[in-house]
Amino acid sequence: MKVKQWIQRINYYACVIGMIFLLPLMLLTTGDVLGRKFLSKTIPGTFELSEYILAVFILLGAAYTQQVKGHVGVDFLTFRLNPRLRIICQILTTLLSLFIIWILIWYGYLEGIRERTVSDMLRIPQYPFRLLVAIGGFLLWLELLIDLFNLIGKLRRKGIP
Amino acid sequence: MNPITAGILGSVLLVFLLFLGMPIAFVMMFVGFLGISYLTSIHAALPVVAKTVYETASHYPYTIIPLFILMGGFASSAGITRELYETFDKWFRRMPGGLGIATIAACAFFAALSGSSVAASAAMGTIAIPEMRRFNYAPKFAVGVVAAGGTLSFLIPPSLGFVVYGMLTEQSIGKLLISGILPGILLSVAFIIIIVVQVKLNPQLAPATPGDISFKEKILAFSGIWETILVFFIVMGGIYLGFINPTEAGAIGATALFVIVLLKKRLTLKNLTVSLLEATRISVLVLFLVAGANVFSYFLALSTIPMAVSNWMAGLQVSRYLILSIIVLIYLFMGCFLDAISMMVLTMPVIFPVIKTLGFDPIWFGVICVIMMEAGLITPPVGLNIYTLAGVVKDIPMQTIFRGAIPFLIPMIMVVILITLFPQIALFLPGMMGR
Repeated sequence: MKVKQWIQRINYYACVIGMIFLLPLMLLTTGDVLGRKFLSKTIPGTFELSEYILAVFILLGAAYTQQVKGHVGVDFLTFRLNPRLRIICQILTTLLSLFIIWILIWYGYLEGIRERTVSDMLRIPQYPFRLLVAIGGFLLWLELLIDLFNLIGKLRRKGIP
Repeated sequence: MNPITAGILGSVLLVFLLFLGMPIAFVMMFVGFLGISYLTSIHAALPVVAKTVYETASHYPYTIIPLFILMGGFASSAGITRELYETFDKWFRRMPGGLGIATIAACAFFAALSGSSVAASAAMGTIAIPEMRRFNYAPKFAVGVVAAGGTLSFLIPPSLGFVVYGMLTEQSIGKLLISGILPGILLSVAFIIIIVVQVKLNPQLAPATPGDISFKEKILAFSGIWETILVFFIVMGGIYLGFINPTEAGAIGATALFVIVLLKKRLTLKNLTVSLLEATRISVLVLFLVAGANVFSYFLALSTIPMAVSNWMAGLQVSRYLILSIIVLIYLFMGCFLDAISMMVLTMPVIFPVIKTLGFDPIWFGVICVIMMEAGLITPPVGLNIYTLAGVVKDIPMQTIFRGAIPFLIPMIMVVILITLFPQIALFLPGMMGR
């Protein structure tokens, strides 16, 4: 159980790191507009920095969102099933989610290491942000894995009806 | 198997997995991936998910989503909700159902600062419901008013609903946001009318509130709303006049509210963490849904289903308003089971081409869609606003909240009909915009 708590803590802090960037994002854009209107000067690279910040924020937040069950699903039908059948449905859908997120990680990594583009103004390379798809995806995958183990545990505790 | 059959099978699998409870974003990615592999090749399909996720997560216009949610979070931290409620309580106290009217007005003004309806219901739930119960309002009525009022955040800009619609249909987000202003005011007035009608029919629902408010007090109460009006005019005025794009408007609005929180000395680490976590959770949810929808739409486009459906619809010898009514009914029905954003994300790839083929204005349809999504927030058995409120007022059962909210579906439908009869209500303001 220790490992599980470690993963969840890492995912929470990953999300915190990402979300702190929202404040500079907000101030950067505001500064850019104020500069443009009142001083006829813009902050170079606002546009591309905003894009990179959004990527950091979303990709690092994906696992935490799963932790608080923020990726919505339709559960009013499965709630009417008997508990055992419900858990089996959840195990099945979690396995499928693990599968598709695995593909996300795999190709996120391949696309990331091949990426050679740099941003237009500040020449910031794009590949570290592309690689975040694999990293964020992997954290999300671990979170789903925790869900899977919890479900299997529940199924065992329920025993054979 | 021809592409259309594959598309239909894919859609059936999608619905099946959806009802098994798989997160909607992952279902769309999964089925989209299978479909693309089948219709092209596995090598073409493998990179699609990773590419789409990165492109969605780094698309500049989408930065507007966390910023709009932050606006609502900061507005709550600044205590603006309570100030709005107290002001409108002073102004409307003497009217039948006065506290209910004050709640709707406060929700409408809060909606002018917040993009998310959950923030509105939660904030108003903790302020308005205890107050209405203190004056012996029927609990069913009190919670119904707040549940309905909270949905206004979806229509009155800044609004997440329009942003998502604009993202999915490639329409101007600025125009969509502006188009929500007049319908939003209209719907707020319609909500107030239904409150007055209900109280006139059954005075037990809302006994008159005792106590007179002097004219001077009413004037002084204005101090509770000027911040809201100021921020709204900076944000929406900037978009309307073409000075700033919607994303910049979101950043300026969030910064302005952040400064207000600082000036009021209400900034705590806890407040800030709550606002930021909320912004993260909703933004990730929305952008993963949109990424999923993009993968799934790619598959649907390969299957040629959207084209076949629109051609078939266009060939039907019936009034386009009949088809529109059917679409609205479908949304009303789906809203009972799906959350608003998922509903839009799931249906738009097929519905939007149909709307365009039928010659309806895409901005106008955005308004109709957003109102239908609002209805979905309060219809049983799944209504996000109802769930939120049930979390805030623990002693009122969920069924009671649903029953209290149902009468408010009538004004929503009436407004949809009015806007269909007079599309200018939605299109007048965006038509005059700078760009």
